[in-house]
Amino acid sequence: MKKQSKPKVAFFDFTDCEGCQLQFANIGSTLLDLTELVDIVNFREIMSEAGEDYDIAIVEGSISTDNDVKRIQKIREKAKVLVAFGSCATIGGVNGIKNRTSLELAKKRVYGDKADLINTIKAMPLHEVVKVDYKILNCPPYIPEIIAVLKCILMGKPYVLPNYALCVECKMNENVCRYEKDQECMGPVTRAGCNSWCVNNGNRCYGCRGLVDNPASEGAKDILLKYGLKLEDIMNSFTLYNDCQGEKFDQYLKK
Amino acid sequence: MIDREILLEKMKTSPYKPMKAKIIKAQMLTDKEKFFRIELEGKINLSHQPGQFVMVSIFGYEEAPISISSSPTDKGYFDLTVRNVGVFTDKLHQLKEGDTVGIRGPFGKGFPIDNMFGYDLVIVAGGLGIVPLRSLIRYIMANRNDFGNVQMLLGCKTPKELLFKEETKEWMRRAEIKFNCTVDRANPDWKGNVGLITTLIPGIDINPSRTYAVVVGPPIMYKFVIVKLLEKNIPDHQIIVSLERRMRCGLGKCGHCQIEGMYVCQSGPVFNYAQLGNFKGECHEKAI
Amino acid sequence: MKYAVINKEDLNKWLEHLKKKARLYAPKEKENLFVFRPVKDVSKICLEYIPTILPPKKYYFPQKEKLLKFQVNPFKTAKAIEEFEEFILFGVHTCDIAGIQCMDVIFRESPEDPNYLNRKEKMTIIGIECLKYCDEHANCTSMATHVPRGGYDLMMVDIDKVFIIHINSEKGEKLVTGLSYIKEAKDEDMFRLDRAREEKKKIFKEELAAPLPKVYDAFDKSFGSQVWKDVGKKCVACGNCTAVCPTCYCFDTADDMELSLNDGIRYRIWNSCQMDDFAKVAGGEDFRKGRDSRQRHRYYRKFKYPVDKFNRYFCVGCGRCTRTCMADISLKETVNSLIAGQSA
Repeated sequence: MKKQSKPKVAFFDFTDCEGCQLQFANIGSTLLDLTELVDIVNFREIMSEAGEDYDIAIVEGSISTDNDVKRIQKIREKAKVLVAFGSCATIGGVNGIKNRTSLELAKKRVYGDKADLINTIKAMPLHEVVKVDYKILNCPPYIPEIIAVLKCILMGKPYVLPNYALCVECKMNENVCRYEKDQECMGPVTRAGCNSWCVNNGNRCYGCRGLVDNPASEGAKDILLKYGLKLEDIMNSFTLYNDCQGEKFDQYLKK
Repeated sequence: MIDREILLEKMKTSPYKPMKAKIIKAQMLTDKEKFFRIELEGKINLSHQPGQFVMVSIFGYEEAPISISSSPTDKGYFDLTVRNVGVFTDKLHQLKEGDTVGIRGPFGKGFPIDNMFGYDLVIVAGGLGIVPLRSLIRYIMANRNDFGNVQMLLGCKTPKELLFKEETKEWMRRAEIKFNCTVDRANPDWKGNVGLITTLIPGIDINPSRTYAVVVGPPIMYKFVIVKLLEKNIPDHQIIVSLERRMRCGLGKCGHCQIEGMYVCQSGPVFNYAQLGNFKGECHEKAI
Repeated sequence: MKYAVINKEDLNKWLEHLKKKARLYAPKEKENLFVFRPVKDVSKICLEYIPTILPPKKYYFPQKEKLLKFQVNPFKTAKAIEEFEEFILFGVHTCDIAGIQCMDVIFRESPEDPNYLNRKEKMTIIGIECLKYCDEHANCTSMATHVPRGGYDLMMVDIDKVFIIHINSEKGEKLVTGLSYIKEAKDEDMFRLDRAREEKKKIFKEELAAPLPKVYDAFDKSFGSQVWKDVGKKCVACGNCTAVCPTCYCFDTADDMELSLNDGIRYRIWNSCQMDDFAKVAGGEDFRKGRDSRQRHRYYRKFKYPVDKFNRYFCVGCGRCTRTCMADISLKETVNSLIAGQSA
């Protein structure tokens, strides 16, 4: 690709921990190769979204205030390509937990007597507000997937998310199943694509990539019950990251 | 035959290695379907049977099975007609004359031409079904005296989705193919039949034991069309269908195209209805 | 020489010798389970093991395997693997060897699969015969894979203080000849081997409720059985059962581009018929919808379809699919329910 035609990339963040941008910085030496292909013009909000020119907007965080809605709409207007970056932006992530209670209660819990001064709406992944062209899942994003998505963007090709359980990758890595060790694991209902990153490193899956299109929520519930979890614990496991996808499990898990 | 040997030799070195091929003609037929004329490197003939398919490769975009819509009697090139339905076909649609693609194949079993010689034919095409059937029709045109009466029933959703409009006229004129067309929904200019393709079948005049029916269309169409053809007393082994399935290898290995114990990429995509009768429940196209 | 003998205390010496000949893979422990791994330290090899998490298929049909190197512009293709590596699989159970024989049938069937055959050519198999059951999930006796039936270069049997080694190929013979500590078996050794096999017969009994022809009949008549609905209800489509099966070989292909966006590699990657989109076409039609019909398909690909096509059962009785299933879908129970459904 010729230098003058390098697309400009800008980063933005909403309700999140900024861990995703940190993960981008963690790409390491490949980041240098990437800068041959793209110009990074905005990182950690050092420039305002209105003032700078960009082609690709990489956005992390959930939408959770009226102001967020306006801001993301502006970004969308300007960007040729909008990338939702990380769990909060793609599936709502942990921010979704707030949606389980009323907004009033949520505000009171967090802001106490200053609750009235706060504007907040339900937490939403970006695609509930604007059109999203690419999704980079995971909390934090998985570096090989960041690179895979960037390649797709540069090729003008959609990035097709895997639609099968994490177990598929986990088994290919020949990990000892967490259930074998009497641990609960969200692997069977979680969308693959991180190469079972957590399990490879001795952890279990928390479901940070969101659920597959058609999760076997009822079957998964039966397994977890068998392993001694209470319905409430199972609900908590499902909602930790995936509260915003309640339609995929509520009917099986609600008492 | 020499071309066939070259192809077989290439397959032997690695059946996963695509041959280089050039798009020598590319043209949109409707909003969704694009026509490609392809020339293999060295202008070798694909040497396929009508009804077979190739795996088309675009590096970086993987591969897809595409049925061949020209006849082996069309030498030096072959034709593909592709609907834009996904990542791969979208990319294919972006390609132009002069661009390169990879080709593996031809794969599978085509229409049983040798068995069909001397018989009358009823060709039933629903929607995109015309694409593989064009290979058969062009073959018949080149060998017209080897077949008896040929009639064709064509159905699609609306007139603007009709493929190969000009060519069908030529088929009627040059090959004496009786032609009948119907659309599900007409527009004001449409003068032909309106209704499902099944409505055309009771009216056809045939000698069933001397007739082969060749049916290609979307899965839902088969059940209903086949029932009507059976009602016309066409023997089940003389009802020929071509089935669409997901395919990744074309070699009877990857498993995606399997209907029960049968690999469609190797044993099909063309089957006779007697073969479908052996399936216990995984063949959506089987009449109830 | 047809049978050889090695003292157990010389085993590690022999393994060091094998390690020099080719890349050596053998079972070792991993968190109370077992896996095949490249051997670094021969003392870590474990020959008393329940079937490994993944069968050794990962070495002759790797999880992610290069098929082709390519260049977009100008269009170019090249071999993805220049040279396949010589390797030895050590300590393979007879069930897994039966699995390799099944894979041979598939990949040798025309059109042949060069990647598989190239790897296979470089592979040496040294088996070990089980004299007692690994656990209650195996059904190897019913599948007749509990005893060696060819398909290996060498087969070891653990008899008291020695291993008696059956030599089944020239390749195998070369690995045991010219070594002072491996001797030709004597009549007395053969007598002990026979006795061990007699003892084994007392332990290994058919695990399925009926002999294989009856199992086949049950499958022939059970396509619409309620059993599949029950299995489908438990199944979470995790794909574990197919990944760990020595005779599952379905795959998908994927192109991986370098950052240049001009060069890349086409891979094939294990795929599972248990996945939602496995049989879905681009137009949207799903030809095998529902976890029940996908589980049924898996079973029929073991007990019916390959029997019709190759006269060979593709279940080798290793028990892995049952062991790995977190939803407790048991192969033995499922097959026995089908048999019971037929006699009821």
